[in-house]
Amino acid sequence: MSSSLILRSSLPRSVQRAARTPAAFQAVRHQSDVYVPGGPVYRGTVNDPTTYPEPNRSHGGYHWAFERILSAGLVPLTAASFATSGTNYPILDGILGVTLVMHSHIGFDALIVDYVHKRKFPKLSPLLSWTLRASTVGVLVGVYQFNTNDVGLTELIARTWTA
Amino acid sequence: MIAARLGLQSVSVLRQTPRVVRSHVIKRAVQTESIPAASSGHILRKQALARPSSPHFTIYEPQLTWLASIANRATGVGLSVLFYGFSLAYLVAPSTFSSENVVSTVKSLPSSVKIAGKAILAGPFTFHSFNGVRHLLWDLGYFITVKGCYQSGYAVLGLTALGTAGLVAW
Amino acid sequence: MQSVARRLSSTASRRGFATTSAAFQAAPLEKPVLNKTFKIYRWNPDEPAKKPELQSYTIDLNQTGPMILDALIKIKNEMDPTLTFRRSCREGICGSCAMNIEGRNTLACLCRIDRNPAKESKIYPLPHMYIVKDLVPDLTYFYKQYKSIEPYLQNDNPPPQGEFLQSPEDRKKLDGMYECILCACCSTSCPSYWWNQDEYLGPATLMQAYRWLADSRDAAGAKRREKLQNEMSVFRCHTIFNCSRTCPKGLNPAAAIAKIKLELSAE
Repeated sequence: MSSSLILRSSLPRSVQRAARTPAAFQAVRHQSDVYVPGGPVYRGTVNDPTTYPEPNRSHGGYHWAFERILSAGLVPLTAASFATSGTNYPILDGILGVTLVMHSHIGFDALIVDYVHKRKFPKLSPLLSWTLRASTVGVLVGVYQFNTNDVGLTELIARTWTA
Repeated sequence: MIAARLGLQSVSVLRQTPRVVRSHVIKRAVQTESIPAASSGHILRKQALARPSSPHFTIYEPQLTWLASIANRATGVGLSVLFYGFSLAYLVAPSTFSSENVVSTVKSLPSSVKIAGKAILAGPFTFHSFNGVRHLLWDLGYFITVKGCYQSGYAVLGLTALGTAGLVAW
Repeated sequence: MQSVARRLSSTASRRGFATTSAAFQAAPLEKPVLNKTFKIYRWNPDEPAKKPELQSYTIDLNQTGPMILDALIKIKNEMDPTLTFRRSCREGICGSCAMNIEGRNTLACLCRIDRNPAKESKIYPLPHMYIVKDLVPDLTYFYKQYKSIEPYLQNDNPPPQGEFLQSPEDRKKLDGMYECILCACCSTSCPSYWWNQDEYLGPATLMQAYRWLADSRDAAGAKRREKLQNEMSVFRCHTIFNCSRTCPKGLNPAAAIAKIKLELSAE
């Protein structure tokens, strides 16, 4: 949230300084003509419609549907893990581990798209995305290790809760 | 001020001059600047770049709508950070973060800390779960009116309170 | 009271309407002064370096009309002619006077003044918009986005005779969407639109997008949907509900967007 505020307030101003040059009326390409995403200067004339990103269903409807199915799946999984112990049902722990990781990953990814999108932060955004991907892989391995070598997620929570 | 911007500084002089002079001479005193057509866009852009962005979340009325949405995101991020943090910690140092160690560490805590810790975990968990169900229902087209939004919102708050109390007492 | 009425009616029957004598006329009510302070966002493009600020104006509510727009017009007429805002129809159909009043986006002409004199009314322009002057936001981009959804009927196979016909049921699907006046209250109340308004279309434009998707006479649905299949245009909506909550016309953009999402994921 705050990061996009900073962008809004800092980027246009730096362009603004260039706009105050004395030769402002010459018909040359000025720095103020550069398009800044979210800035007050838009592409084309007032009569041109805005443009769209390339259509891609795996970023559009399919991504959304997958996210919903995943979340809906978490409802019975959560209820089941309250009712049983993961030690007796390792498959439940396995499915829960993977589903929760994907659910979290999509949630973190939505943060990046909302607040630090790459059109505004061409360097920071990919860095965060790759950090997230690497962490998710690490977490998947960690959860697998924990579920196979230790007591498993639901049992850990149950024991900690009543400790 | 508007007159000054348009280059009509001589307007006040105009009123005091005789009519004949006015029509023949003063007309020329009104100066305009010739600007190539290609520059018009630049002038507009220069104006636009000076514009401030109006205030938003600092002045918007706190409403159940967007506060619940922020809370949903914040609780989700909080729980996921904990989940990611523990899993990565276990990956790096499985013996330190084994279930035995975790449970015995928690056991050694004073009961007030344990209760507070349970509340801090149970609150976000129940809210995110119930609000998540609310979102799923919206996505299917249920309760997707302002009235439904508020009714389901208060229901989620109530269930969160009950759920948190229940889990803390578990 | 009754006797006055009787006397009045007897006077009227005797002398007609023209010359009711002064003694029979009701004395104009002496209304007490009810001062209320309005704090209004000011920014002047002639002094761009000066930061936007809130300026206070105190007016007597008993000498003012009932709506916020009445107060604004009174201030502009009697106190400060430099105060700048858009207004036109003063009856909630043009959408010009959309602004943020006491934290809510609404039309100044449809918003009653809170008559509690102790409470200051704060008036801001629509949130997170570039400001042309005072309460006037630059809506160019909003209109460009509206244009991008091609808000007109597209059908290459007109009926051989007459106009496109539609069943009453199909027509009913457009109710609650065609009434939108594009005042931008909803879009500028949406946090997702605040952070990503260059790519996310926002509730007003999306509801109009669905208005054409839902129209049984339109044949360009597949093309319209294809355009929206990306992560920014529609799916930045997180069903926050500020849009429907704030709509001064009582419409429900959130429901329209939910239907778009279902259609896009079922394709």
